[in-house]
Amino acid sequence: MTTETWILDMDAGPIFEQIGRNVREQLARGDLRPGDKLPSARDLAATLSVNPNTIVHAYGELEAQGIIEKRRGLGTFIREDAPVETMRKDMLREIAETFVNEVRRLGVETDEAMAVLKEAWDAG
Amino acid sequence: MLASLVNVTKRYRTTEGVRDLTLHFPAGQIVGVLGLNGSGKSTLLKLIAGLLFPTAGEISVFGGTPRGNRARTVFLGETDTLWPWMTPADAGRFMDGLYSDFDPVRFGELLDVLEVPRRKTKAMSKGERGRLRLAMALARSAKLYLLDEPLAGIDLISREKIMMSLVREWHTDETILLSTHEVAEAEGLFERAVYLRDGGLVLDVAVEELRRDGKSVVQTFKEVLA
Amino acid sequence: MRRFRTLLWLEHRRSWIWSVALLGSLAFWAWGIKQVRVWDVAERLGIRAGLLAMACAIGTVVLCLMIGRIRSETRHGQYQVLLLTPPSGYSHIAARYLYVAGVAFAYFITIGFLYWWIMALAGIHLDATTLVELVLAVPFYAISVSVLPLLAWTLLLMVFISAYRVSGPGWIPGTVMLLGTPFALRWLIDGVVRVSYSLPGWRLFANAPAALIERFGSPDPETTMQVNEILYNGVPIEPLLILLALTVALLVLAGRIWQEVEA
Repeated sequence: MTTETWILDMDAGPIFEQIGRNVREQLARGDLRPGDKLPSARDLAATLSVNPNTIVHAYGELEAQGIIEKRRGLGTFIREDAPVETMRKDMLREIAETFVNEVRRLGVETDEAMAVLKEAWDAG
Repeated sequence: MLASLVNVTKRYRTTEGVRDLTLHFPAGQIVGVLGLNGSGKSTLLKLIAGLLFPTAGEISVFGGTPRGNRARTVFLGETDTLWPWMTPADAGRFMDGLYSDFDPVRFGELLDVLEVPRRKTKAMSKGERGRLRLAMALARSAKLYLLDEPLAGIDLISREKIMMSLVREWHTDETILLSTHEVAEAEGLFERAVYLRDGGLVLDVAVEELRRDGKSVVQTFKEVLA
Repeated sequence: MRRFRTLLWLEHRRSWIWSVALLGSLAFWAWGIKQVRVWDVAERLGIRAGLLAMACAIGTVVLCLMIGRIRSETRHGQYQVLLLTPPSGYSHIAARYLYVAGVAFAYFITIGFLYWWIMALAGIHLDATTLVELVLAVPFYAISVSVLPLLAWTLLLMVFISAYRVSGPGWIPGTVMLLGTPFALRWLIDGVVRVSYSLPGWRLFANAPAALIERFGSPDPETTMQVNEILYNGVPIEPLLILLALTVALLVLAGRIWQEVEA
């Protein structure tokens, strides 16, 4: 788990939420898989130069959402039954909504938007 | 409360260091003390450390006087206070002999983690001296840490090492007051931010609140102090 | 106790170069003594004794410089470190003073030995009692009434200046202390002289005349009587007691000021 995978923007809202979103994104992308071990709250805090309580808060939220679990004596892990598919779908929906909002602000029609989208998809 | 200031004013010969400050610091917080040069950050920390006496108002630390409780407080000042002939071993001997809460083993570990060279301080760079002084401070187990610009004038790599060590060594019942100009670098550490201007308190806020409104500590700094 | 030992260790590490230089300089004076080539024995002895007197004076100045070095500490912020350490101001003052006083004792006892040496070179053979008196009792008395109080006074002056540096023009209280000292000194000396010999004096060098007579022959009866009278009276104890008490008082005051000092 390198620092590059955790990107924090101090202007983008509470850090613990960003951490949570980071974990969900990594799971959705497959960078993290169910059963993987997460760094301890203290280690992650040190890596990111962030208050350990923030990470504890983030892990607490993720635990409440059923994504991670603490195994006594072993550490913090992504749950085997973490709802990865749901997260992927949620993320996809978020990306789609962002695309739609941006495109609408440009004042582009639906057909044109879809055509450009298909072009970009085929090219990439 | 670990430290409390009530209507504290510190007047120097021609200027005012701090003006009618009232602040309370409970256990377990990491607090950023922020402001421009001359805003009173150093004065605040030195008052709590007992290096300065207030002109008016009351300061209590651990329920008593600041100077009376200096054995339970760690102050890391801005000025380089090491004797030039001291080696890290000498510094360890000095601390071990004078502070009962100093852990020589932890000191050795911190020296390794912070990669402090085993030389006389006069042969060390500013960053290396800063790391040595931090190791001396963190090897004590105090409940109140007062760090006055611990990152000032120190190279980037050393700053990162210092912040990582701060995070690792902090215990949840300890309070750290950290004043710095490197607000962007350090803001992740803060649970609470105290903004000072011309010796007065301008804003005292939980960092979570700022972020919920989509503002960073840095942005608030510019808004409140520019 | 551990803390005090650490403070002494700190003093030693800070000042060992001064100590070594000071004590080492005695080798220079010893060399100088050997260089005196005057024919007349008494004159030679006189010149050599003069050299040693110079060594005493210069050594005293150096010791005062050693103890008064607080200012250099203040500039580099090391003052801050010491203000934050748990030991009280009294401990800090005591540690600094005891270290320098220790060096002073070593220095002046060695000079006592050198006086014995120049006497031996002049053919005067002192017996064991006189030797011990010359090497231990005389240095102890001499520095207790002069050097030790002076060191305490210097330390107090420096602490005074440092203490008021931040909250006002630091030089004013220091200057007041300096200017007031000659008056205080005159008053002190008057008082001490008046009180002296109320108690029995401390008799020293009872056997010295015998050694001198052996070497130089008997002086006239007039001189013999005067010398015997001086030896009978001995040196007054009062100055010793008063000045040691004064030294302690100055140190206590310095400790008190240190407690109130700001960084």
